[in-house]
Amino acid sequence: MNTNSESPDDPGVVIKKTIGTYFVLRGGQVLPCGISSLLRKDFVYSTADPTSMPRRVQSARFNTHEDPVAVGDIVRFRDAGDGNGVITAVLPRRNRMARRSAVPMPGAHPFEQVIAANLDQVVAVFAAARPTPSWHLLDRYLVSAESLNLPSLVVITKFDLVAGGEIEDDLFAAAKAYRKIGYPVLLTSAVDGLGLDELRQTLAGRVSVLVGKSGVGKTCLLNALQPGLGLRVNAVNRSTGKGRHTTTHSEMFLLDFGGAIIDTPGVREFGLWNVDAQVLAEFFPEMQPLIGTCKFGLDCRHAEEPGCAIRQAVTNGAISPYRYQSFVRLREEL
Amino acid sequence: MKPRLAYGYPSTRVRRDGDFQCIHCHNLVPSAAAWAGVQHRNHCPYCLWSRHVDLYWAGDRLSACKAGMWPVGLTAKQRVDRYGRSIPGELMLIHACVECNGVAINRIAADDHVAILLEIFQRSQDLDRRLVNQLQAGGIAVLDAAEASLVQARLLGTK
Ligand SMILES: Nc1nc2c(ncn2[C@@H]2O[C@H](COP(=O)(O)OP(=O)(O)O)[C@@H](O)[C@H]2O)c(=O)[nH]1
Ligand SMILES: [Zn+2]
Ligand SMILES: [Zn+2]
Ligand SMILES: [Zn+2]
Repeated sequence: MNTNSESPDDPGVVIKKTIGTYFVLRGGQVLPCGISSLLRKDFVYSTADPTSMPRRVQSARFNTHEDPVAVGDIVRFRDAGDGNGVITAVLPRRNRMARRSAVPMPGAHPFEQVIAANLDQVVAVFAAARPTPSWHLLDRYLVSAESLNLPSLVVITKFDLVAGGEIEDDLFAAAKAYRKIGYPVLLTSAVDGLGLDELRQTLAGRVSVLVGKSGVGKTCLLNALQPGLGLRVNAVNRSTGKGRHTTTHSEMFLLDFGGAIIDTPGVREFGLWNVDAQVLAEFFPEMQPLIGTCKFGLDCRHAEEPGCAIRQAVTNGAISPYRYQSFVRLREEL
Repeated sequence: MKPRLAYGYPSTRVRRDGDFQCIHCHNLVPSAAAWAGVQHRNHCPYCLWSRHVDLYWAGDRLSACKAGMWPVGLTAKQRVDRYGRSIPGELMLIHACVECNGVAINRIAADDHVAILLEIFQRSQDLDRRLVNQLQAGGIAVLDAAEASLVQARLLGTK
């Protein structure tokens, strides 16, 4: 008894997944879905004549490692009419955040685990104090976001702890430096409500991924934005824990004021594995326009080469020496 | 003026750097503290050239310039004796960058070649006045011939 016979494969958004079940949101309703077995197969195409179109499927392997559906995916699904549905197709992703997964068997290829798809922005959360912000870690997050072509927002929370002191001046200076590069910086506090309206405005209507180490105040910030939100996020994170199964559960939390946030332990490990040392400068927006203008052109590593335009921009004050130092350190870490 | 250590940025002051090759004489310089007798080996003990790698403090590695810094001359840290008088303290090497106008003063290491230090002191008597004045304006007094006996006493251990 299919009640949706006129439009059998409606589009919806996957907002949550647990082992084998995907929760698809459409028109304010959430439907638990399974996936069509067709989505689980990797097709092996004939390469004998690459010009022949359409390509012929030679064989299909059943793929048990890679989950073809991630939170944030726009999917077509069929409502079975019994309170469940079946996902029949995943629409092309605008972008995706993934990590390299542990290899299931010795000798196997590392595969990609998509943590979330179709994101609008990365929100990097730091504490003004307790713990002391790590600008190098922030630069790491920003580079990751740039590599995914996602805009970033920097949130410095617990600002009440430093208001009116020497540290406040340092934070203003850091905020100014990041704004100059083009990253918006919000100063917030869950305690006195500083910056929360602005934060709501930037989150509204967008899918945001929260990144930040534990203890920086994310839970309190989310609770302050929307009562109970932080607690719900934490309950999910606690149940999933760490390890190779981190992405078996993940969830997108809908915001009362529109938009959604994603915060999973998998996202906390937000890595740089898709960034190559060769192209690192491209992910520093203030360095990007200088690429190719060094004396050694595209061969310049911007380390000690004479006539390096990026080093010159640092010495003449156009680029922050701290950002350049982050660049050098990140290149060593890659 | 040097800013204080900026909040939230890693202090690289204690970072151990490896052996390095001198930018000027190309000798390999071991960085081990045991050799240098100072925590940061920031110049070559053979020719006494340094490199413009620090920006605000010794060891911060924040300078992107990285050009050679030549040994300009010697200066003495001022200290106050028990009668409250300012007297010359530790002898320091003045380094100036060959590419930008970066200047640094650095401690002399135990294995710095004394003959070269004395040569630098000699040569510094004929420094371009503009450079001497510029250093003076930055609070660095280049030791001149009048301090020759102080320099000899400090470097050769004679009275
Ligand atoms: N003073 C102050 N403390 C905060 C603020 N937000 C969080 N905290 C404290 O920081 C600690 C960690 O906060 P929590 O939200 O659990 O961090 P999470 O691990 O990032 O979720 C807790 O002790 C909170 O009480 C804030 O805006 N101001
Ligand atoms: Zn370059
Ligand atoms: Zn040398
Ligand atoms: Zn220089």
